[in-house]
Amino acid sequence: MPDKLDVKQGTLALMILKTLEVLGPLHGYGVARRIEEISQNRLTLNYGTLYPALVKLEQEGFVTAEWRQSENNRRAKYYALTAAGRRRLAHEAREWHRTADLIAAFLAPRRAAR
Amino acid sequence: MRFLRTALARIAGAFTWHRADADLQDELQSHLDMETAEYVRRGMDPAAARRRALLASGGLIQAAEAVREQRGLPAIERVAADVKYALRALRRSPGFTAVVGLTLALGIGANAAIFSVVRGVLLKPLPHRDGDRLVYLRQSADGPGGANLSFSVPEVRDLRTGVPSLAGIAEYSPWTVIHQGDEGATRVTVGLVTGNYFGVMGLSPVLGRLTRPGDDGPGVAPVMVLTHEYWRKRFGGDSGVVGRQLTLDKQPVTVIGVVQPAPFFPTRVDALLNMVISDHHLSATMVEGRTHRMTEIVARLTPGATVEQAGTEVAAVYARLQAQFPEAYDPAFHYRVAVIPFHQALGERARLTLWLLMGVAAFVLIIAVANVANLTLMRGVRREHELVVRAALGAGVARLRRMLLIENLLLTLLGAFLGGGLAIGGVRLLASLAERYSPRAGEIRLDGPVLGFMLALSFAVALLLSFLASLPREGGFASRILAGATRMSASLRRQRLQRGLVVVQIAVSVVLLAGAGLLTRTMIRLADVTTGLGTEEVLTMQVALLTPTELLANPAADAAAKERYEHMRREIAALPGVIEAGLGSPVPLRSSNVRFDLKAEGRTLAPGEAAPQPELRTANPEFFRAAGIPLLRGRPFAATDGPGSAKVVIINQTLADRLFPNEDPVGRRIAWTGDILRFTPISGDWRTIVGVAGDTRDGGLDAEPRPVVFMPFTQMLAIGGGLVIRADSNVAALAPAATRIVRRIVPTALIENVMTVPQIKNQSVSPRRLNAALVSSFGLLAVIIAAVGIAGVLAFSVSARTNEIGIRMSLGADTGRIQRMILREGGVLLAIGLASGVTGAFFATRAIRGLLFGVVPHDPVTFLAVALMMAAIGVGACWVPALRAARVDPAIAMRAP
Repeated sequence: MPDKLDVKQGTLALMILKTLEVLGPLHGYGVARRIEEISQNRLTLNYGTLYPALVKLEQEGFVTAEWRQSENNRRAKYYALTAAGRRRLAHEAREWHRTADLIAAFLAPRRAAR
Repeated sequence: MRFLRTALARIAGAFTWHRADADLQDELQSHLDMETAEYVRRGMDPAAARRRALLASGGLIQAAEAVREQRGLPAIERVAADVKYALRALRRSPGFTAVVGLTLALGIGANAAIFSVVRGVLLKPLPHRDGDRLVYLRQSADGPGGANLSFSVPEVRDLRTGVPSLAGIAEYSPWTVIHQGDEGATRVTVGLVTGNYFGVMGLSPVLGRLTRPGDDGPGVAPVMVLTHEYWRKRFGGDSGVVGRQLTLDKQPVTVIGVVQPAPFFPTRVDALLNMVISDHHLSATMVEGRTHRMTEIVARLTPGATVEQAGTEVAAVYARLQAQFPEAYDPAFHYRVAVIPFHQALGERARLTLWLLMGVAAFVLIIAVANVANLTLMRGVRREHELVVRAALGAGVARLRRMLLIENLLLTLLGAFLGGGLAIGGVRLLASLAERYSPRAGEIRLDGPVLGFMLALSFAVALLLSFLASLPREGGFASRILAGATRMSASLRRQRLQRGLVVVQIAVSVVLLAGAGLLTRTMIRLADVTTGLGTEEVLTMQVALLTPTELLANPAADAAAKERYEHMRREIAALPGVIEAGLGSPVPLRSSNVRFDLKAEGRTLAPGEAAPQPELRTANPEFFRAAGIPLLRGRPFAATDGPGSAKVVIINQTLADRLFPNEDPVGRRIAWTGDILRFTPISGDWRTIVGVAGDTRDGGLDAEPRPVVFMPFTQMLAIGGGLVIRADSNVAALAPAATRIVRRIVPTALIENVMTVPQIKNQSVSPRRLNAALVSSFGLLAVIIAAVGIAGVLAFSVSARTNEIGIRMSLGADTGRIQRMILREGGVLLAIGLASGVTGAFFATRAIRGLLFGVVPHDPVTFLAVALMMAAIGVGACWVPALRAARVDPAIAMRAP
């Protein structure tokens, strides 16, 4: 599977936070599906990757979790962004863009200018 | 902040593990259900959908494990699991646990107790401000009593001006006074100090004030500063004590303060007084007399100065003084001054004994650890199967090692815990021992650093034990399990290790036994020393009537005191059972520090020969008979040898041999001499020798008898009064009646040292007895542990060789042959251990030469006895497994796996 990617450390948290910001409170399955969709199935998350990340975000106070009834009447644990989570997302996103720009500049084909 | 929050959540997670786990299971299940439902919605059949969902999940168990890692404190939880497991394993083998725990308790406890003493007495920094800048100065010279001469006031003055490396010199003169309190008289040991004393020493008051330069000299009020210890003991720590007046030597003295806890050197003291209490210390004798040495000095180095520098400067001053005052520094005596760091001087007397005990304790620990190592190795063999299975189930070497480490750590901590109990008892015993050797004994306690020392020992031992065990290497074990092996073959490496440990145990035991033997022989030799008194049925007591000041200033008081002493003597002599009662000072078997140079008529000193310096003692006519001291020549004193009659003396054998070798001294004349006589009430008149008395061991049983001159009690001031009472039997029972008589005649006088001759001897022997008892009990312990060790290793070897023995027997070996085979195996170990032990002891016992008396460090009798004892015990220990080997039934042995 050459086009499957590993989830880089730290980026998963950012993806989860963004997902929760866009879609509002969501269960683990929903988060996983959303990330897979956005990545066009280049990323698949098994439980052993996803849930520790969620627990960590909860420990850090960026998300809260509660059991709720889902749209098709199942019980599921919903994760919701906290205020701290929002600030964190904004901060991380900014950092990510700056890093990405920097790396892109580095990797751009070298101009022959002197 | 984030980190803290996460950490808190994790800690909370470690405790809410079970509830959270159920919640997680639900969550994962709901995820799985939703995913399955999704696949079904896309048209898969439910079973396939579920399989697909499970596949995508990556495993529910693995996920739960990953979350647990994130949620709690995985490292701690794993350790907790190991601890739980180790506790279970130890509970399953209570015998092993108990033996190991106790063995380690002995090793660790002994080390902790002795370390706490070493720390308190030798290692702890001094409580004085910048205590490492303090130095003690010691003037010494050749000849008896020359080891520590102290300093005279003129000498201190010269040092003060001539040694720029010393910022201040504190003067301290040991003295005793009698405190007349409501509950009777007590002797108070004091130091007479200069006003700068506390400033130089760097000590602060806890109450009131300390002495200051204004308290120096004549015409000031006598004041006293209590030591912390005396304040607590005598005044119960009463803060109202400052300002109180006490009667010392019949003078009122005001308590001005209490000094912080600190050791005093060279003697423990109860209080420190300014000099004015003693007329003598302010007299011309003291202040002008260059040879009147009564002052100890401690000095503070100037910033930047070194001990060596101070030493060089002091030596320069002394070279000048010796040229200037040849009469005060007889070149024959080699006067010299040593500058010693104060903390070193404080530990001087204790050092050898303490390092001996520390060494012994270390040896005991070595033996204990060797034994425990052997036990663990043997247990390890029985556990091999378990370890192999664990390794096969995926436990890595590191994990197994950690498991072993935790198990061993639990064992050593158990040992440390039990050892701590032993140490608490031991420290109390040792502190009382240390009091004889060190003024710092009060600082001995089981405190934080000692506990740290115990923990460090426990960890070190646990680490050592864990790395001795050989673990199944990763891989290569599945085959063994498949082959149905229940144990790996006892590897050669391990057997060699076990045997090496046994040899070490035997060798160390031999060293300890040799030390114990030498110290025990020392003690026996010492107890066998004849005191010089013909009988043990002698009771002595000292009664103090006059203060030094009264004695010098008041001849009438002196005469009255002598009359009262005689009164006591007569009444005591009349008690039923008393054979004789005598008067003299000091009483026999107590040393005297009253010594003067002596010359003999018609005998000149050879060039460079030092004048004899005998002790001055007094005796009345009945003294020698009462004490049982034989008169070898001449006659005892007579009632006619009174104050007005011809001056006579009796000398002891040692002095007679020295002054008149191969001659009869009776009728010859001697006289006190020397510069110092000017300052005393003793005349340099010629005195005729009327008798020669036998030597007595006045300086302790281990000290050579000193030369002595006895003067008649009535021809000398009553410098002290001693009663010597001899009975036909059970003299100790006379003590209460004799004390009552003295009390009636002099109700307020201080009665001291009411002791029989056996009690005095015991006092002299008891430090050695304690040494011998301590080392012997450690030695015995070591032997027992070593015997168990050798028996255990052989027994193990027998059980490992059951098969082989069975084969040998069925091939015709008889039981005797099998026994010999096992005995030979043990015998080799024993022989190597003995040989190396004796060699080791030969070197080790030299270190304790200074503690021995009457035996040489390589005493052949002791060494032979020790070797025989160890051999006998060793052979006995080998016999048990040998017998067991001989009882092996070949039929059963061959069938055994």
